[in-house]
Amino acid sequence: MSALTFTPKSDSAHNIDCRRLTPNILANLTAAQIENLSLLNIKNSAKIGDFFDISGTDTNHIIFKNTHHQLDYIGHKMSHGQITIEGDCGDFLGANMRGGNIICHGNANDRVGDQMRRGLILIDGNAGDYCGSRMIAGTIGIYSNTGNNIGFAMKRGTILLTKTPKLHATIQDCGTHTLPFLALLFKSFNAFSTPFNALKNLRVQRYAGDLACDGNGEILICNTNVSA
Amino acid sequence: MIINSIKIDDTFAEAFNMRGTRVIITALNHKWAYHAANAMTGFATSVIGCGVEAGVERELSADETPDGRLGVSVLMFAMGSKVLMQQLETRMGQCILTCPTAAAFAGIESDDQISLGKHLRYFGDGYQTSKLINGKRYWRIPVMDGEFLTEETTGMVRAIGGGNFLILATSQPAALHAAETAIEAMKKVPNVIMPFPGGVVRSGSKVGSKYPKMFASSNDAFCPTLKGLVNSELSDDIESVMEIVIDGLTFDDIATSMRVGIQAICDLGEVSGVKRISAGNYGGKLGPHHFKLHEIMSVASS
Repeated sequence: MSALTFTPKSDSAHNIDCRRLTPNILANLTAAQIENLSLLNIKNSAKIGDFFDISGTDTNHIIFKNTHHQLDYIGHKMSHGQITIEGDCGDFLGANMRGGNIICHGNANDRVGDQMRRGLILIDGNAGDYCGSRMIAGTIGIYSNTGNNIGFAMKRGTILLTKTPKLHATIQDCGTHTLPFLALLFKSFNAFSTPFNALKNLRVQRYAGDLACDGNGEILICNTNVSA
Repeated sequence: MIINSIKIDDTFAEAFNMRGTRVIITALNHKWAYHAANAMTGFATSVIGCGVEAGVERELSADETPDGRLGVSVLMFAMGSKVLMQQLETRMGQCILTCPTAAAFAGIESDDQISLGKHLRYFGDGYQTSKLINGKRYWRIPVMDGEFLTEETTGMVRAIGGGNFLILATSQPAALHAAETAIEAMKKVPNVIMPFPGGVVRSGSKVGSKYPKMFASSNDAFCPTLKGLVNSELSDDIESVMEIVIDGLTFDDIATSMRVGIQAICDLGEVSGVKRISAGNYGGKLGPHHFKLHEIMSVASS
C-alpha cells in the first residue's frame, strides 16, 4: 500500500486549513471519496479535490508534497498513524495532537504542537513563534532555529532542540545532565528519515517550564556531536 | 537406569503451578546491574517464607537491553498473581529505585500486565514525568543520582515451580562439588532459575511434622545421620544429599535444565563420589506436573 499523498494544485492566494486531512478522519476512504469530501466541516465548503491532487491508498501514512507555508493545522487532533511533510508548512502543525507521528522535512510556522497531548513532531528545519505553546504532553523536536516564546504555557512534554533559543522568564535552567530515557527516545527515531537519527549523546542542557503552568515541561538542548 | 556408573532412580519430581515474570535491569556496568539484581532477588529462596522465588536468569549485553546499557534479566515466581504483584512492587521500590544508575524494563510479553513503576512513580512527588515511546509507557523519576527510568508495567505469565532432583553422594564435599557442577551447566539454560543459595538446597522437606503447628519438616528419609532410626531412603555408602530446585516458565524449560544438570553430574562419573540421583515428590497428589527422571534422561541419551 502506498501512502496517501496530497499535492497542492497551485500556490493559493490564501491559507488552506488542513485539519481534516488526518489518518483519523480519512480512515477507510478512497482517493475519489476524499476528493469529494468538504475541506472544512461546514456548509458549502469547498472540496478537498479543489485544492489537492490525491494519490495513494494508505490512510495511516499521509504525505504532503510540494508544500508551502500556507498549509495550516496539518495533523490537527490526529491520534495515530504518520504524516510526512516534504517541505514547509503553516501554523498550528500538530495542534491538539493525541498520538502518532508528524515528520516535517522543511520549516513550520507558528504554534507548532499547540495543546498537543501525545505523539511526536520532528521538524528538520525551523519553527516559528510560540512553538509548543500550551503543550499538555508529548514530544516536539526542532533541528534548526526556533522563534520567540518557545514552550509558552506548556504544562508537560519535551521539546528537543539543537540550539539554545531565546527563553522567556518562566522557563528555568536546570543544568546539564545525562538523561537515560533519551536512549529509548533516540532509538525510536530510527523509524524515520530525519537528522534527529544522528543524535547519540544523552547529555543535554535541561530547561524546565513553563513555571506559570506547573513547570513539568522541559526544553532539552541536545548536543549534535556524535561522541557521547 | 544407570548413566556412567551413577544410578538414576525410577521416580519423579513433583511441581506446582506458579505465576512468573521477568524484569530486565540495566545499569552503568554489570557490577551495578548485579548489585540491583542481587538485592532484588535476595531473600527469595522459597515461597514458604519469602513470598516469591527469584533469581538472576542471565547476563545481558548492551545490544540485548532496551536502553543499550549492560544488564541482567531476573525471573520471579509466586504462588499467585496477588503476591507476585505485591512482592515485585516492594522489591522494585527497595532494591531497584535505590540502586545507583539502575533502570528497570519489562522482560516478558503478556496480556496480563503487572505494575513495575506504575505506583513507584509517586516517589517523584509530582516531579515524575512519563514518556510514551513506541507504544510503551516509561516513568522518569527524579532521584539524587540523576533520573530513575522504569517501564510502567511488565508481563505476568503462567509458570511452573518446584522441579527438582537430589544428589546422593559418599561425602558432603562430593555432593557439593557435583551440585556446583550441575548449577554451572544449568545456568546456561534460558527461562529457569535455581532460587536457593548458590542454586543448592540442603534442607529438603517432607509434608507435616510431629509438631501440630509445623506443616513441613526435615525430610528424615534422606537425612544421613538418621539412617538407623527411620525408614531411610539411603544405603550405607551415602553420607550426604543435596537438592537442586528449579522454577521455570514452561514444563520443557524445567525438563531441559534438569537433564542438563543431571547429565553434567553423570559426566563426572564414579570418581565424583555421587552414587544416585533421585527426586522429591509428595506421592504425586499435590502437584500437577511430574518430571519423571527416566523419561527426561532417556531424551538425553537418544
